[in-house]
Amino acid sequence: MEIVTKPTKYELGEMLLEIGSLLMVAGANTERVKVTISRIAGAFECDSQLMITNHALMITLTYNSKVKTFTSVKWVPNMHLNFNLIADISAMSWKIVEEKWSVERINTEMKLLNKKALYPRFLVLFLVALAGSSFCRLMGGETVEMIVCFVGTFLGLYVRQESMKMHFNFYLCVFFAAFTSSFIVGLYSFLNPEAESIHALSTSVLFLIPGVPMINSFSDLIDGNILNGTTRGVNVLVIAFAIALGLMTSLLIFNLH
Amino acid sequence: MDYLALLEKGIWLGCAGVGFAVLFNVPRRTLGVIYLIAALGGMLKFYFLSLEVGLILSTLSGASLIGFASILAAHYRKSPPMTFALPALIPMIPGLYAYKAMVGIMKLTAEKDPVAYGKLFFETVNNGLSALFIILSLAAGVAIPMLIARKETVKRIKPELVLEK
Repeated sequence: MEIVTKPTKYELGEMLLEIGSLLMVAGANTERVKVTISRIAGAFECDSQLMITNHALMITLTYNSKVKTFTSVKWVPNMHLNFNLIADISAMSWKIVEEKWSVERINTEMKLLNKKALYPRFLVLFLVALAGSSFCRLMGGETVEMIVCFVGTFLGLYVRQESMKMHFNFYLCVFFAAFTSSFIVGLYSFLNPEAESIHALSTSVLFLIPGVPMINSFSDLIDGNILNGTTRGVNVLVIAFAIALGLMTSLLIFNLH
Repeated sequence: MDYLALLEKGIWLGCAGVGFAVLFNVPRRTLGVIYLIAALGGMLKFYFLSLEVGLILSTLSGASLIGFASILAAHYRKSPPMTFALPALIPMIPGLYAYKAMVGIMKLTAEKDPVAYGKLFFETVNNGLSALFIILSLAAGVAIPMLIARKETVKRIKPELVLEK
C-alpha cells in the first residue's frame, strides 16, 4: 500500500504545471522551467517529460511503478515580468528537494508567494523615468533634454499601465506608450525648433525595449530550444515594430526628420 | 581618458539599471548590487570605446563582465543570475542606432533621387546592422558566462546545503 502515502497523481501534476506557468509568465527561459520542474518531480521520485511552447505547457508524469502516468496541458497567459517570483520559486525548489515537502505544503507555500508588484506604482514610474533621462544623458543630451525625456517616459509608462488595465492588445499598448512618449518630446521640439531634441526623441521610447524576451530568445537558441527561441525572437520583432510605429506617428505629426 | 566623465557615466548607468530593475520587479535585496554591476559593465564599455577598440567588441566585453559579475552576485545574494544581468544590460541597448535606422527606412520610402537614395541606403543599412550586432553581442556576452558557470553552480550549491544541515 505504498501508493496511498504518495500524493495522488492529479495533485502533483497540476501543481507542477502551475509552477511552470508561473515561471513562464514571470519571464524565465525554457531551460529554467525544465530544470525546476524536473527537480521538483525528482523529489517525488517521478519522471517528468515536458513540452514547452510559448503559450502552453504539456507534462507527462511517470511514477516509479510505470503503472501510473499523468498527462495534462496548461495554457500560459501573457508575460508579466516578476523576477522576485522566479527567485522565490527557485529557492523553494531547492527546499522541496532538501526537506522533502509534501504537495499540500508546496500548495500553501505557493499561495503565500508574493505575486503582486513589489514596488509602489509611483516609485516605479519615477525610477523608470529617471532611467529614461539617464539614457538621454548617456547619449549626450543636456539638462533640458533630460527633463523632457523624464516627462515623456513617465507619461508613456503611465499610458502603458493604464491601457494594460483596460485589456487592450499588448502590442497596441506598446504602440500607445511609444506614441505618448515621442509625442511629448515632439511637442517640445515643435515649440522650440532651434533646440536640440534628437537625443530625447530616441531615448524616450527606450523603456519599452523588450530586453527580457530578447535575452531569453538568445539563451533559448543556445540551449537548443530553437523553436522557442525563434518564437520569442519574432515576439521581440513585433514589439520593436509597434515601438517604431508609435515613434513614426509622432514624427509624421510634427514633421520631424 | 577623462576619469571624471567616466565616473559620471557610471552614476547614470547605475540609475538606468535600477530603473529597469524596478520595472522587472526584482527582489529588494538585489537593487544595490544591480546598481554596481550596471555601472561597472557600462563603464568598462565606455573605457574600451575610449581606447578605440570598436563599438561591438567593447559592448561584448561590457556584457561579459556583467554576465560573470551576475553569477558571483547570484551566490552572494541568493537569486538567479538573470535577475542581475538583465536590468544591468538594458542601459547598453543601442537605442540611437535603432532609431536612426528606423527613420532612415521611413525616409527611403519617400526618396526618389537615385544618388541621395544610395547614400541614405548606405547609412540606414549601416545603422541597422550596428544595432543588430550590438544586440547580438549583448545577448551573447550575458548568455555565454551563464552557460559556462551553470553546470558547476548546481553541483557546488548542493553539497554546501547538505553540509549545513
